[in-house]
Amino acid sequence: MTLFERVFSGNDAVYGLTEAAVDAAIAANGEDKAVSFPDTAYALPCYYAVTGVKVTNLKEMKEALGVVKSLMTRENQLNDVFMSGVATALCAEFIEAIKYIDGAKPYTEPCYGHLSDAIIRELGVPLVTGDIPGVAVILGSAPTAQEGVDLVKSYQAQGILVTLVGGIIDQCQELGYKTGANVRVIPLGKDVTAVIHVVSVAIRAALIFGNVTAGDAGALMTYTKDRVPAFVNAFGPLDDVIVACGAGAIALGFPVVTDDDKDVPAIPKSLIIQKEIAKFNPTSLEARDIKIKITNIDIPVAFASAFEGEIIRRGDMQIEFDGSRVDCCELVQTKDASEVEDHKIEVIGPEIDAFEVGTKHSIAYVVEVAGKNMQADFEPVFERKFHSYLNCIEGVMHTGQRDMIRVRISKDAFNAGFRAKHIGEVLYAQVKNEFEAVVDKCQVKIYTNPEDCTRIRHEVATPVFEKRDERLSTMTDESVPVYYSCIMCQAFSPSHVCVVTPERLGLCGAVSWLDAKATNELDPNGPCQVITKERVIDERIGEYEDVNEAVRKFSQGALDDVSLYSIMEKPMTSCGCFECICGIEPFSNGVCIANREYAGMTPLGMTFSELASMTGGGVQTPGFMGHGKHFIASKKFMKAEGGVARIVWMPKELKDQVADRLNETAKELYGIENFADMIGDETIAEDPETLVAFLTEKGHPALGMDPMM
Amino acid sequence: MPFNRKPQKFNAAIKTVEIGSGDKTVTLGGENVLPFYSFDGEIKNGPKVGVEITDLGLDHEIAGVKAYYEGAATIGEIAKKASEMEGADFVCLRLIGGDPNGENKPVEDLVAVAKEVADAIDTPLVVEGCKNVEKDSELLNKVAEALQGKNVLVMSAREENYKAVGAAAGLAYNQKVGAESAVDINLAKQLNVVMTQLGVKPESIVMNVGSAAVGYGYEYVVSTLDRIKAAALSQDDKMLQMPIITPVASETWSVKEAMATEEDSPEWGNQEVRGISMEIQTAAASLAAGSDAVILKHPQSVATISKMIKELI
Repeated sequence: MTLFERVFSGNDAVYGLTEAAVDAAIAANGEDKAVSFPDTAYALPCYYAVTGVKVTNLKEMKEALGVVKSLMTRENQLNDVFMSGVATALCAEFIEAIKYIDGAKPYTEPCYGHLSDAIIRELGVPLVTGDIPGVAVILGSAPTAQEGVDLVKSYQAQGILVTLVGGIIDQCQELGYKTGANVRVIPLGKDVTAVIHVVSVAIRAALIFGNVTAGDAGALMTYTKDRVPAFVNAFGPLDDVIVACGAGAIALGFPVVTDDDKDVPAIPKSLIIQKEIAKFNPTSLEARDIKIKITNIDIPVAFASAFEGEIIRRGDMQIEFDGSRVDCCELVQTKDASEVEDHKIEVIGPEIDAFEVGTKHSIAYVVEVAGKNMQADFEPVFERKFHSYLNCIEGVMHTGQRDMIRVRISKDAFNAGFRAKHIGEVLYAQVKNEFEAVVDKCQVKIYTNPEDCTRIRHEVATPVFEKRDERLSTMTDESVPVYYSCIMCQAFSPSHVCVVTPERLGLCGAVSWLDAKATNELDPNGPCQVITKERVIDERIGEYEDVNEAVRKFSQGALDDVSLYSIMEKPMTSCGCFECICGIEPFSNGVCIANREYAGMTPLGMTFSELASMTGGGVQTPGFMGHGKHFIASKKFMKAEGGVARIVWMPKELKDQVADRLNETAKELYGIENFADMIGDETIAEDPETLVAFLTEKGHPALGMDPMM
Repeated sequence: MPFNRKPQKFNAAIKTVEIGSGDKTVTLGGENVLPFYSFDGEIKNGPKVGVEITDLGLDHEIAGVKAYYEGAATIGEIAKKASEMEGADFVCLRLIGGDPNGENKPVEDLVAVAKEVADAIDTPLVVEGCKNVEKDSELLNKVAEALQGKNVLVMSAREENYKAVGAAAGLAYNQKVGAESAVDINLAKQLNVVMTQLGVKPESIVMNVGSAAVGYGYEYVVSTLDRIKAAALSQDDKMLQMPIITPVASETWSVKEAMATEEDSPEWGNQEVRGISMEIQTAAASLAAGSDAVILKHPQSVATISKMIKELI
């Protein structure tokens, strides 16, 4: 039989039973007899939510059966299967409602049957906040009672609400397993129709928490699919009725995981066959996209930001990993979901017990992550956080990054039981928690054999680092589809907006285009938003209609237009966090740059602080502009005014920092060798006359350029 | 040249949020002109004034406040008197006793206090938690549950606990939710965005964008209020059109101008006069900058500010 036929046949069977039950109830009680579930304002909640009609007595129920029948179309389309599933669920609700006629109490300990509105409101809040990360519906009897109870226990340990229908209830009792709403394991009833009581919970949650209007079946299904993290575990063998109920669950967006592979074809993400009961839990969580929050990191020492600055001296140190002497590295790698087993921590090589006190060793830790929204561009963003993660461990000190790391573990931490594997625990927990939006699964490999570390460092990590650097250095404003806004500083500078592009990082120097991109993906409502750049106004100065619209919006109307590449025309504003300021120097036709660390005088007759007072606060001051250090060597630096050839002066320290990259840019743009040597500094001139004399002597290109004003 | 009056018209308005039930229901917001610019257009719902009481009773209050509540023994009686204060539109109950670093009263006790207050008054009620994120998540959930049907404003949901407070007050128990941020327009907006994504209706949200006593960095507050109103009205920013409530008393009565006794600072004069002055100045400035409601404590402040509102609108 095909799946279609099984659903239809199950649906027909349940419909037949329901019709008989309704007729029998009418025969026994008369058609005016009231029907309702106790303690709910939603009559028969499922029927009410789907149709918008409240069934209150048997006569209305009989009429409603006609509506149900109309859902049971048989066109052999996917929609017929789903609607038949829904029809089966509604039938189940009628059968269950009839049990409650005359205030009867059809369910006795430990079964709950219908759940009141009050319980839903109570459970709804933790469901919305994610404190209850999911709802498991376990249906039927597990192959053995022990397997069934183990499965229940595994969900319970994750904080998942477990509801039980059928044989699993007896299996729990058999092994004396405690159930009840207070422990979040709720046996509903032993008939398969009792499953409607959990469907009713999901549906009332949509009505109460989702503001879904009764009768709007589309909105209802969208809500349950997107917001109610429920799933079904059905133990085989499955009969047609269960298959029909399963179709109803899938219609609401709840995947079904089963161990029965006879006559049940798998449907990706919806109907999943998992032969091993022990793997029902991870399979279900993955299918329903449920992520378990990690509240406790399982390590024998404390973990808090209070320990971030802790220094471990040589005498207090148990052992150290030192990347400056031996091969070490830290790396994040994106893998396919099938290659990652969540929370697998492996120590490959000896644990630190094997090392003598006070000795130096190699270490390489590779954090492998998988996620639907994961991108290789996020890898360095995660990696940069490792420093802070490891430092937050009491008794562990970490410095450096990439393959230049040093990690010290204190004697106290070692004696408290801290081992290399705990580094993995910390990295796992932090990566999962902080990057929940993009990381679905994470595993950590810690290598402590010198040969492994050498191999990982040179054959795995170095090529990755090189590729990343290459990508960063070749990325241009033209090569990316969008830019990003950054308004992190608006608390201090209310009308300032940074437009971050690959060749122009944020003026604070801390937000590159990749950082902004990652910030946006990880926190979609946060300070970095996508800015398109499709409608060019003026290529020369880098002005776009879309960029202007974004700036207008994010500055709340304070700014109308900005250019990306000009210091004279609509220059980008500055908050107050700029690393450097450049200002026009009229005698030489050029600009002077001062960095924040430079306390002396510039040829403009102003110090950095004096320049800053003219430039900050989110106002446009043509001729002056705040920017990051990295921007100095960019090909887009003052592109509209002729580029880096305009730079005539900067403090020596800054010049030394940027000289290599600047020389490269000048060579490429103008064919000038050693351009940095033509630029003045405080040891050469602090006034314009001396500066111009120096520039003339060096033949600085700015002298021959058009005046900027 | 003759003066030509040109009303500043906006095609956007602040949303209205109702709190309370029955005759004394209060409507916050609704204006489509700048604060007190009643010459530009009608201001249907003027700003409102709330009276703050706390679960800690009156022991720590200043003489004039104690005198007003004289004879009120229970929290219910205190609440009743607060609701009858001249110029009062609503009562604000602060459950500061819940603070784990203070008296750490159990949630059940505080819920009982909230119920007693709600039952004693017929004016709308605003309930503020103890400002401890974890305790408030639980406390405000239970308060929202206990006061079902009263349509109270539950304060506050913050970035750290907006899901718990928002879901309980705004979704499960149909109350109004205060969204509290710390004097930053972007954080205020972001909180409104995530709250609405959670499913809380924009019409159920009132913003508390943070405050300070005048002289204590208050310029930031004014600038934030100004910019929020400007974005809401001139840019039609839907996520900033929620009305704003500003707790004033809790800020102004805890600064040295209000706390230093006359013995300690004789040159400053009468302590109570100073405290009232701080409270009135801060409230007036907050209203002028765009707040739709202020929460005050001293009867004289309440009377003065409500008179100011009446005369300006």
